[in-house]
Amino acid sequence: MSDGEDSCTAATEGSTSPPGTPDMSLPVAMDTSTDVAPTRRARRRAESQPEIEETPKQQQQQQQQQEEKGEEPGQASSQSSQSSVAHTGWGYWGSWGKSILSTATATVATVGQGLTQVMEKAETSLGIPSPTELSAQLEEEHRQDVVMDGSNEADTADDLSAVGGAMGMLSSLSSVVQSTGKTVISGGLDALEFIGKKTMDVIAEGDPGFKKTKGLMSRNATLSQVLREAKEREQLQTTESDASEKKTVAHYGVMFDDFQGLSHLEALEILSRESEAKVRSVLTTLSGDELLQLRDELDFIKDSFALVEFDDEDVDEKKDEDGSEFEKEFMEAVEGLSVSATAHKLMTACRSACTNVSITNQRKEEEESERTTHSVEEVHAAAIRSLAELTARSIELFHKVAETTLFSGGCTEASVLSQLTVLLCKELSLLSKRFTSCLTAAGANEKADVLNPLITGVFLEASNSASYIQDAFLLLLPILQISHIKRNAEASQQ
Amino acid sequence: MTAAPYNYSYIFKYIIIGDMGVGKSCLLHQFTEKKFMADCPHTIGVEFGTRIMEVGGQKVKLQIWDTAGQERFRAVTRSYYRGAAGALMVYDITRRSTYNHLSSWLTDARNLTNPNTVIILIGNKADLEAQRDVTYEEAKQFADENGLLFLEASAKTGENVEEAFLEAAKRIYQNIQDGSLDLNAAESGVQHKPSAPQGGRLNADSQAPKEGCSC
Repeated sequence: MSDGEDSCTAATEGSTSPPGTPDMSLPVAMDTSTDVAPTRRARRRAESQPEIEETPKQQQQQQQQQEEKGEEPGQASSQSSQSSVAHTGWGYWGSWGKSILSTATATVATVGQGLTQVMEKAETSLGIPSPTELSAQLEEEHRQDVVMDGSNEADTADDLSAVGGAMGMLSSLSSVVQSTGKTVISGGLDALEFIGKKTMDVIAEGDPGFKKTKGLMSRNATLSQVLREAKEREQLQTTESDASEKKTVAHYGVMFDDFQGLSHLEALEILSRESEAKVRSVLTTLSGDELLQLRDELDFIKDSFALVEFDDEDVDEKKDEDGSEFEKEFMEAVEGLSVSATAHKLMTACRSACTNVSITNQRKEEEESERTTHSVEEVHAAAIRSLAELTARSIELFHKVAETTLFSGGCTEASVLSQLTVLLCKELSLLSKRFTSCLTAAGANEKADVLNPLITGVFLEASNSASYIQDAFLLLLPILQISHIKRNAEASQQ
Repeated sequence: MTAAPYNYSYIFKYIIIGDMGVGKSCLLHQFTEKKFMADCPHTIGVEFGTRIMEVGGQKVKLQIWDTAGQERFRAVTRSYYRGAAGALMVYDITRRSTYNHLSSWLTDARNLTNPNTVIILIGNKADLEAQRDVTYEEAKQFADENGLLFLEASAKTGENVEEAFLEAAKRIYQNIQDGSLDLNAAESGVQHKPSAPQGGRLNADSQAPKEGCSC
């Protein structure tokens, strides 16, 4: 982490910014209504792809222009830098930001795909057989080109990351993608290696829990294990940073564990795994029509799980200030689930989160008259704490739903659960927006490199929170399936 | 601020089992909060508690799974036994039926955990001496015959509560030290944190009461 920061400050000082670079000291008038809300990683994957596919076209055009002219490589690359720089304003956050930030997990995969397409498209359109041959052919005529690209690119990426965690991650991602298309063609495999590494670095830097997302993608470990690891790493980092600086940073993972979120998740995973095994073993005992029919029924349950879709466009932070609307909808949704005690705990968590927001807002107003500065770290800590608590309670709720479904043999409707999931994710998204508004207000006098990482942190954890809740929701599938099988068996016995 | 330092070297998973109403949740609450919960609601499925203790000079985080005692939850709670390093098997000294059911709980515990799992028998409600229905000697003999640790405790007064959790932890730690508990085994119920720095530092934050150790 510190490596990256060091190098980017050095680069900022030591290099001339490309034309069009916005003044980094200005935190760029932030549009607080911009939409960076937690969304499901997997679902956004499809959406973010087209944006990346834009890149190859641009790159091809540039490349072709260059081929035609056979000159001015520097100009071409500065165009590329410019276009990425132009995208660094908070306003642009709206589109790129949403897909990249909310899909921090998916991004590695997506970027990778995008690159393959860059390679393929470039190869087909230019009629070049292989990257290796390509680089050999072009090496002579573009040697200078590559050198210049390399330096330009580094400048761009480093300048941009100086803006702060959030912007740094987004813009260097986009600039890496944009400039790499070109470098891939002229520079061959080295560039591929570069972008892979760079993308990882960029993402890892912006996402303290990156390890867990990486783990999630490979699906080798269970979610709670992965989370535990991420948490341990955070704790280690805290200890290390405690030694060097006194500054306290709120750690989502630690708080999530304090609220027993990890334990409930672990328990839910156990129930889910066992139910899944039971479903499988039941299926092996059946044959013919019976098997087909059960398969159909199980698939029907599965399909209702796939329907979870929530659109964060709907989330309006001005609405439902005191959380009463959420409360009403939530209580209606959990009514038939016989988990009232846990639901009540969740409600309490949610109320205290709303109170936190209003307290921070109040203090802000007082501050204007009394000039007592309210620390952004405090607001950030309150935000992270609220997110962690609400997420832990949500996981607990799903765990309790799993338990009651298993022992009561009652029929839990998947539609109710997916409605709950959407409701909870929306509430998290709403909370993160409110808290970042508070942060922006509280940090009006802070430098961008202090404020932005905190804001990014809140959005990232909100996005992660939504992912955990959705993953927990999916863990309920085998539980509903086995409970369906049990009910069938009981019915046929009677 | 909950930026807790990385202040433990091991995590031990515990389960608390036994009939309904013997005071499992109250023991846990007394252990983690040092308070007696008079009107404790029935546990549904499983609830959790954690506390960091010092065992053999090492900070150990106990992750405690407090299971529901009701028979109807039994199928679900059995799922949670796996991977426990320690089991607290609780009965009520004023209700013989809870003592009589111990063999069934013990069978579950033996079948569903690994051979190294340390089981401690706890006779709860020791403060209600006048209503005693099971003698100390009788229970002690049962414990000895089955190779269990044994204590009588009171979740109400706090007597022997700390000791119950600590005795089991000491035995687990001893098993680690003499190599009989393989930390690399998937279900040892113990996670070692070798990268933990000395582990001596306590944070003066909101977690402090939970982390208060016997030292």
